[in-house]
Amino acid sequence: MASLEDLQLRIQRLEDIKQVERLQKIYGYYRDNGDWEKVVDLFSDNAESVEVADHGVYRGKEGIRRYYIDLIKGGKGRKPRPGVMSIALQLQGIITIEPGNSEAKGRWYGLLMEARPTLSLHEGPLRQTWGHGIYENEFIKEDGVWKFKKLHFFMNFRTPFEDGWVKTPMVGQYGPDPNIPPDEPPTTWHPYPSGYSFPLHFRHPITGK
Amino acid sequence: MTLEELEKRVTLQEDILEIENLQKMYGYYFDNRMFEEVIDLFSENAESIEITDHGVFKGKEGVRRMYGGMIGRSFPREIFFEVMQAQGVVDVAPDGKTAKGRFYTPSFEARPFGGYVRSTWQFGVYNNEYIKEEGKWYFKKFHWNLTYWTSFERGFLKVPKLSDTPFSHADAPATAYHPYPSGYHVPYPFKHPVTGE
Repeated sequence: MASLEDLQLRIQRLEDIKQVERLQKIYGYYRDNGDWEKVVDLFSDNAESVEVADHGVYRGKEGIRRYYIDLIKGGKGRKPRPGVMSIALQLQGIITIEPGNSEAKGRWYGLLMEARPTLSLHEGPLRQTWGHGIYENEFIKEDGVWKFKKLHFFMNFRTPFEDGWVKTPMVGQYGPDPNIPPDEPPTTWHPYPSGYSFPLHFRHPITGK
Repeated sequence: MTLEELEKRVTLQEDILEIENLQKMYGYYFDNRMFEEVIDLFSENAESIEITDHGVFKGKEGVRRMYGGMIGRSFPREIFFEVMQAQGVVDVAPDGKTAKGRFYTPSFEARPFGGYVRSTWQFGVYNNEYIKEEGKWYFKKFHWNLTYWTSFERGFLKVPKLSDTPFSHADAPATAYHPYPSGYHVPYPFKHPVTGE
């Protein structure tokens, strides 16, 4: 029979996994609503980086603020543009708590429905699009609270509603921004039809490989 | 509460998590075309695997025959499938040795059809069974039901399925193949949470 200490560790692991899942889902709700300040606050002060699609790698908490506030929001006081919508469903989460129980990794699918400009990040006519990508994120527990340590979103496709991913695999991405540049170039910019498979962080549950 | 009762409750929560992970990992392996890894998720005592109208493949040997043809095959880079594993409901049997689970699968795909690769939508329902052997959960019985498979441009009302896809080397024909608009509902594996029926 298990000891009380064993059971406490096992319950702790289950609670940690639920907390990390919740963090990722709440990230999704904040980003969909354009609450970018709240998104930044989900990251640890010691966070490593954020990398989304072909925008490049933004390092450290300062880089993360630069990415979400200066680039994605379009500046601190900027109001959301009427008609813009971005929904990214956070699906199929697999969370691995690392030995030591203070760090974790997670993989999710992101299923996107958007109404957005595709000629530049903030200007130009709105188009409705379908999109799909994969998150491989890292998390850290500090003072009992789980936070993002690293967020990495690989983008598979974003297509106009009328076209489909075979006809038009990607719209609305134009590489690193020249005015708010990343610290490093993108590491996984391989949209459809590259044939690229975004590596899985987790081990096989049976073979352990 | 005794320690023993508490352990039972913890084990149940762990079991549900491991089964959900098994199903989601299956999805990631399948989408990344890691078919060796897919086969390893099935018990040596697996009963059967049945996918859409491909037919029933029996035993672990059947699972190998089902996926074996895809191992080592090089796929054109234009082809992909993203079959998302969503909305899992998992029930573990009172003895903790077997379980049943239901999942939805909204899917984006790029598949060859009619001579060239097309964007297709696909949707379906899993009713799967799982077995715990030496502390690990495996697939015991696997059944995916197709709801629709349609071209991106035309949609499921006009084209509910692009074609039938029976496999000639199956052990038995499909037991359930009722795509839209049949009105068929895949049976629930779970009991009503309020009435218990």
